[in-house]
Amino acid sequence: MIKTGIPKLDDYLNGGLPTGKSLLYYCQPGVEGDVFGMQTTYINLQQGYKSVCIATASSPDVIRGKFTEFGWPLEKFENQFEIIDAYSALIGADSSEKYVVEDPENIKNLDKVITEVIEDSSGKVIIHGSISNIIDMCGEDQALEYIENWNKYIMLYDVVGIYNFTVWPYSDKTVERIKDELFNAVIRIGGVSEHVIFGQYYSVTKADWTKAMIDSSILFKVLRPGGVKAFIPKLLVTGPFNAGKSSFVQSLSTRSVSVDRMGTTVALDIGHIDHKGFSADIFGTPGQERFDPILKLLGGEAMGVFLVIDSVKGNEFERARQMLEVTRTRGLPCVIVANKQDLPDALSIEEIKRQMEISKNIPIVPAVAKEKKGVFEAFEILIDQIMVGI
Amino acid sequence: MTGYKLGINGLGDVIGDIKGGTNILLIGPPMCGKNIILNNIMFQGLSDGEFAVFITTAESGENIINWFTENKKGVEDHMDQFGVIDCVSKTLGLNVGDTQTIKRVSSPVNLTGISVGITSFFEDFWMKKEIHKARMCIDSLSTMLMYSNIQTVFRFLHVHSRRIKTADAIGIYIVESGMHDEQTIVTVKQLFDGVLEIKNEEDNLFIRALGLSPKPTKWFGYEIDGAEVIVEV
Ligand SMILES: Nc1nc2c(ncn2[C@@H]2O[C@H](COP(=O)(O)OP(=O)(O)OP(=O)(O)O)[C@@H](O)[C@H]2O)c(=O)[nH]1
Ligand SMILES: [Mg+2]
Repeated sequence: MIKTGIPKLDDYLNGGLPTGKSLLYYCQPGVEGDVFGMQTTYINLQQGYKSVCIATASSPDVIRGKFTEFGWPLEKFENQFEIIDAYSALIGADSSEKYVVEDPENIKNLDKVITEVIEDSSGKVIIHGSISNIIDMCGEDQALEYIENWNKYIMLYDVVGIYNFTVWPYSDKTVERIKDELFNAVIRIGGVSEHVIFGQYYSVTKADWTKAMIDSSILFKVLRPGGVKAFIPKLLVTGPFNAGKSSFVQSLSTRSVSVDRMGTTVALDIGHIDHKGFSADIFGTPGQERFDPILKLLGGEAMGVFLVIDSVKGNEFERARQMLEVTRTRGLPCVIVANKQDLPDALSIEEIKRQMEISKNIPIVPAVAKEKKGVFEAFEILIDQIMVGI
Repeated sequence: MTGYKLGINGLGDVIGDIKGGTNILLIGPPMCGKNIILNNIMFQGLSDGEFAVFITTAESGENIINWFTENKKGVEDHMDQFGVIDCVSKTLGLNVGDTQTIKRVSSPVNLTGISVGITSFFEDFWMKKEIHKARMCIDSLSTMLMYSNIQTVFRFLHVHSRRIKTADAIGIYIVESGMHDEQTIVTVKQLFDGVLEIKNEEDNLFIRALGLSPKPTKWFGYEIDGAEVIVEV
């Protein structure tokens, strides 16, 4: 068994990746995925493993330099780390690597070197490379055929394959085979986007040897030095005075505190939720206008926002919209929580939608925060909005 | 949201504002000042308070920035809206790191790396600096096509032209005419909403715009004078 060295991932995989298996980091274009394979490689160099890295889009020097950037110097591991240079020939440069692929666009050349490396290894080796680069160079069908074969070798010789794949718009058939068939484990790395990608996450989508924790998403940042670090996202709860924000935060949270005075929030509500494999910190703002100047500080770095409104008070919808401006969260993924639906003169969702005059794409969820009704639905909808599928 | 100004006097007045979400091919023969045209388009964005992301496969990041500081007064005030993705320096084996403005990518083959660079500039400008208008350019697709096959480049462009649409930004992509077969040009053209086309007839330069106004514009003669593009109207 080897560790992936990615936060929480080894727990989700019930300990890590057994030898003889292949793992794919399946990455949305634009999201920083290369670092995952490098991190797994480095952690295992430290455990005495050898690693062979296939260079397809960067020169061997640049690859070594990238490890250094992340704070993972390779000097100590010179005898354990090799590069298969399938890049230099592409740009007509010489290579001083031990393994060189003469014509990288001919997959037979690459195959020869890779199978040789695996055969020569006496176990304890990690092969690491980018599937998409190989497909780009050699064509979809050919590349997949060979990759399938390499994975057989990996099993036979009890080594480990760690691959990266950027999910460019290849044919559906190719993408499906890669996602579902060719690898023992698939870790999806995706982007959180609204107009632009502004956050990134990973989750296990497949692990065929164990009952892994599937589809639990971990948000992450990439640090230099440091590599992949998990972080807990912040969700903001805002809305007009007395709409039920504090009640919403309390109902949603596994644990929470409010700074209230005489029943109104004077600083903020803080909660934390773990629900269906997703954790988040939740911040509720005060609703009174006298607090507006501090609210923009609370909105900073939020990844999504619940806009809580009192379904009875149509005259406050204008203020509700304004709260998105005040907290500087307009444009972030947003869910409107139509609270106090238990009251007899609560407006219907249709009526609220009409009166709110807000983008049609923003979902409205009926809720009774006091009774925990609708709060988890709202949470799940917001998470779905944040985690765009790939 | 209001549209985008082209930044080429004369031609810009004819086509008017360009809609957000437009991807434009800038195509012409060598030695006709395509870079200067492109730089002027990008500078217009900076002056208008947009952010600009410049992907270069032809010059180092420093050279790109130097052109602007030497030729465009006031660009210093806009440096925090400007991002350059330099695919050249590392290919040349230069041991240079990133700066505030420049991100290096290992090579023009590394489309995954370029993509990460674009995302990271967009996140920074859009979320942290709260600038919600952007123009991005690639100089040039021709170099990318030298290193990667057309299918690969097409997939990359497909993803990024769509991201330009989602962000309501504009994208400008340079292609050298005469360097690629007809089929390649036809294939990449599908991805663009408009074309700025350049021709050289007996040493006279002409430019026209297609798809950016209801009808194609006529051919305008132009000259390059230092860092300026002078269109005859
Ligand atoms: N009927 C009904 N009352 C509710 C509901 N949710 C909250 N309330 C009541 O509404 C009042 C205000 O609730 P809070 O949660 O303190 O509202 P808030 O938005 O945090 O208020 P401020 O922080 O002062 O702006 C309290 O009396 C709650 O008991 C609900 O779903 N139905
Ligand atoms: Mg409160």
